[in-house]
Amino acid sequence: MQLYVNPSDEVPIFRQIVRQITEGIAGRRLAPGEKLPSHRELAEELVIAPMTVKRAYDELEMLGFIETQRGCGTFVCAAPPKPDRSSQRDETRAEARMLLSRAYLGGLRFSDVVKLLKEADREVTEGRAEKEES
Amino acid sequence: MSFVLEFQNVVRAHRENEPVVDDVSFTVGQGEVVGLLGRNGAGKTTLIRLAIGLLHPQGGSVRAFGLAPTDRPVEVKKRIGYVAEDQVLPATATVKELIVFHRFLFPEWDMGLERQLKDRFSMPSQARINTLSKGQARQVALLCAVCHRPELLLLDEPAGGLDPAARREFLETAIQLLNREGSAILFSSHQMSDVERIGARVVLIERGKVCLNRDLARIREDFCVAMVPRSALRDGAVLERAPGCLRVRSSFDSWHAVFEKPPEEVSAELSALLGVDGVHCVRMPLEDLFVEMVGGQR
Repeated sequence: MQLYVNPSDEVPIFRQIVRQITEGIAGRRLAPGEKLPSHRELAEELVIAPMTVKRAYDELEMLGFIETQRGCGTFVCAAPPKPDRSSQRDETRAEARMLLSRAYLGGLRFSDVVKLLKEADREVTEGRAEKEES
Repeated sequence: MSFVLEFQNVVRAHRENEPVVDDVSFTVGQGEVVGLLGRNGAGKTTLIRLAIGLLHPQGGSVRAFGLAPTDRPVEVKKRIGYVAEDQVLPATATVKELIVFHRFLFPEWDMGLERQLKDRFSMPSQARINTLSKGQARQVALLCAVCHRPELLLLDEPAGGLDPAARREFLETAIQLLNREGSAILFSSHQMSDVERIGARVVLIERGKVCLNRDLARIREDFCVAMVPRSALRDGAVLERAPGCLRVRSSFDSWHAVFEKPPEEVSAELSALLGVDGVHCVRMPLEDLFVEMVGGQR
């Protein structure tokens, strides 16, 4: 899986990495048990400070998405943490309401929102769709 | 964390009573990358020259690896790599001669790394220094500064005058070194995108004083600029007194105030304070924040 960073993005670089790896795991582009590049490899590839990669990995580890095996490397957890299903439903329901309210206030219609959701789904499951189109 | 570089209340004036560096304190930890920012003449180069012992502090103390660079010059210089802003290399020497000379200076010289960098930069060994392009000369200076595998790399405007490709190559080399050796880097730069890319922390110098020393991620998330129209507020000092405000400057018909707080909070607080609706607060990229922190009044 290819990662991108944009240093002038509003989101700090370490969070950009956290988000992309989380999306990769959620969208199954990163398989459970898959090995991630080392701090060193990723820092060199993206031309960022190794400390920034460490920070991203620490956060992902804390969230329970990846694990470090001493001397072997960093891997996607075999079983990523599953929140309780019914509470996840409640949370997503609340977020959906908020999302719709904001969209309607901004002048979007329901069909626009559905279209955007489908786009987001493609991005999460297939990787940066918007990048490939352009 | 152990510090590789420590400035404590450092004062240095080139002329009497005109300090260029005025009570500066900050540290660089092992393996840390710190960007030194500030306007021209703010004191960045002087700080770097103090760090390597080219200048004596007149007050306070400078410590590299716990040693005073001016008292223990050899021990300190062995562990530091330094590329000056306008590195003067002997004009008529060849690249090869210069490298051989450095090999003699540093017993720890790493021939493998030298070869690797020469290949990578496709360095013309037989060329004389004065026939090199600016980018090539910088590459030679970098090679001479890193092949003894320093624990601390001091780069004064490493990107000055380089095209984007050469700059990227320079950064990649610095990062590789950092990765391999865990070296710390202190670099001054006006290229904010470079600082944002490889820096983990920034120290902003204004008129010889540290005016900001923060983690970059924190600046990204917890800093914002509030824009208040002058029509809503006559006196900018009101903003200066607001909690979390770092600086206020006037810009055409509005006040721009930098806050160390997320924009949502600042917007709510200022709206209540000034009795106006929805004060506009935004997060800013480093470049804009730099202008807000040290830019002039308009």
